[in-house]
Amino acid sequence: MSVIKKPTRRDFMKTTGAAFGVPYAITSAALGNSERPAASDRIVMGGIGIGNMGRGDQGAFLGRKDVQYVALSDVREEVRDKSKANVDRHYNNGDCKVYNDFRELLARTDIDAVHVATPDHWHAIMVIEACRNGKDVYCQKPETLTLREGPLMIAAARRYGRVVSGGSQRVLEDYRKYVAPAWAGEFGKIKSINVNVGPLPQLCNLPGETKSEAIDWDLWLGPAPWAPYNPKRCSGSFSINGASWRSFSDYSGGGMTDWGAHHFGGATFICDVRDQQPFEVNYFDDSNGKYLAYRYQNGLTIYHNKPKTDQLLIEGTPGEKLAPKPVPGYKGEGGIYGDFIECVKTREKPFRDIESAVNTAALAHLGNIAYQLKRSLKWDSVKQEFVGDAEANRMTDRARREPWQL
Amino acid sequence: MLDTAFEALKTFDWGSDLAALAPIEEAATASHGKPEARQDLENRLIAALKGTLTRDAQDYICRKLANVGTAAAVPTLAGLLLNKGNSHMSRFALEQIPAAEADQALRDALPKVSGDLKVGVISSIGARRDSAAVPALSSLLSDSDPAVARAAILALGAIGSVESAAALQTALRAAGDRRATMIDAVLKCAESLLASNQVATASSIYKAFTDESQPRIVRLAATRGLLACASQPAVRSI
Repeated sequence: MSVIKKPTRRDFMKTTGAAFGVPYAITSAALGNSERPAASDRIVMGGIGIGNMGRGDQGAFLGRKDVQYVALSDVREEVRDKSKANVDRHYNNGDCKVYNDFRELLARTDIDAVHVATPDHWHAIMVIEACRNGKDVYCQKPETLTLREGPLMIAAARRYGRVVSGGSQRVLEDYRKYVAPAWAGEFGKIKSINVNVGPLPQLCNLPGETKSEAIDWDLWLGPAPWAPYNPKRCSGSFSINGASWRSFSDYSGGGMTDWGAHHFGGATFICDVRDQQPFEVNYFDDSNGKYLAYRYQNGLTIYHNKPKTDQLLIEGTPGEKLAPKPVPGYKGEGGIYGDFIECVKTREKPFRDIESAVNTAALAHLGNIAYQLKRSLKWDSVKQEFVGDAEANRMTDRARREPWQL
Repeated sequence: MLDTAFEALKTFDWGSDLAALAPIEEAATASHGKPEARQDLENRLIAALKGTLTRDAQDYICRKLANVGTAAAVPTLAGLLLNKGNSHMSRFALEQIPAAEADQALRDALPKVSGDLKVGVISSIGARRDSAAVPALSSLLSDSDPAVARAAILALGAIGSVESAAALQTALRAAGDRRATMIDAVLKCAESLLASNQVATASSIYKAFTDESQPRIVRLAATRGLLACASQPAVRSI
């Protein structure tokens, strides 16, 4: 009886490489050992946007024995140099390739997966392009800048059968004390939950300054409106109050999306509506202040900044106990990064599958639009459009600066 | 207050205090459902845009016209489409104006611009899913500028109609190194057709990409599409 060896992922690459006469030197590291899978069984990865969160993501993937990190892209020269040094030091070689333009990295056929941690205005373009190029993607949160981007990212992932995970380790890891009893049915039917998060994004009108760093400014701006360089405009710090891109509407949904990815993500997980979007957003402006109520088809209300209400305060049904449900979690080992890598291997959906990540971000975008228009809105989540509100529908997307296109 | 804000707009530039323009923001919101107030605001914005302003001030007005502009704003915006420094923010407004005049302005601009500006105009046509632009976009599939050809491919994919799919399929025979992008766009058309219950058309598109000559990732995508077609109620009942 003949034994057919299951081909590894890299068998295909080797065959292709041989066909094109690519030299393939077998090193002891490539063969693997009890501590590390052979090169043919490692996930070959690259990273795009390696400052701040990207640096952390890179470290997490670099530390995995089942990952071979081979390339990175960043528009900042210093970030590229430091990150390459970091990778090369880790592998004790000089092999990590660096790119200013992410498209060159995505065009490489030897890379299986990428992590994306650029500012939010780049996410959709990069994730979709990665999927077109057959890559799996770990995309930092907030995954979208506009409502229109979400369905396009999901469609690209599904079209090519890609594993696309959103970021936010907090969704699973920070709210366990609420998730456990909620999924155990101890709150009964949850009527409402409150999320306190903000602020809203603001238009950036910072003056131009002389560049204090080696940065490809045009590429940093990418699809966003042209604006002069200012270090606060492009700082990747975690400020959401005017000192980083996270504050500004051309690049981010502000605190609503930046922290909303965590808190709204936690709320929708607690209430088990990660697979849904609300059908209505009610806007309130009374003596207590401005706040929102998101209504779901199952009767749930998610409040945003409900006055005098604690973060994640849950209103259940006293005296009622529901049947417990198994709580979803990460696959594999190593937190959210391990979950992604395990799913790359098994082709399962990760915990923060792009669809649930998009649904979470949609809450923040819907909220930003309701606050800006100062009125309640009805939302058709199937058609992805506001019902009977042409003005609100104008805010579901924005034109991208040439030559960038979805 | 609104007068003061428009006066401030005349000297508005990067670094100016945005608070000076707050009355314009407030007028945009407050004029919802008040046609006269809304028209007055739009007229003021258009008039200001025709004046001598900094790029930053022009950009600001385009942002507001994206929210409140109508067909009345289109001629002024159309003029800016052709300027390198204004084209994007002109599209920023035009892309959101729910009027046939905006589609026409974008189509009219196509032969007048080149390079990145043309790519931008094409992308806005695609975002608006302007089916009347399919013939013009089809003629750009073989454009000598690869960026223009790619933009036309993506726009036809975004339009997602029977006609745009047919144009892409025809061009596919001579796609060369644009083949992967073109297939992606055709598959996107099939998804749009499936979503609009044109199952048979979508299915025939998918079938064309299931043979062994196609790259594996394309075959898998086409197979997934066929399965999606097969799961449609109309097909299941056959």
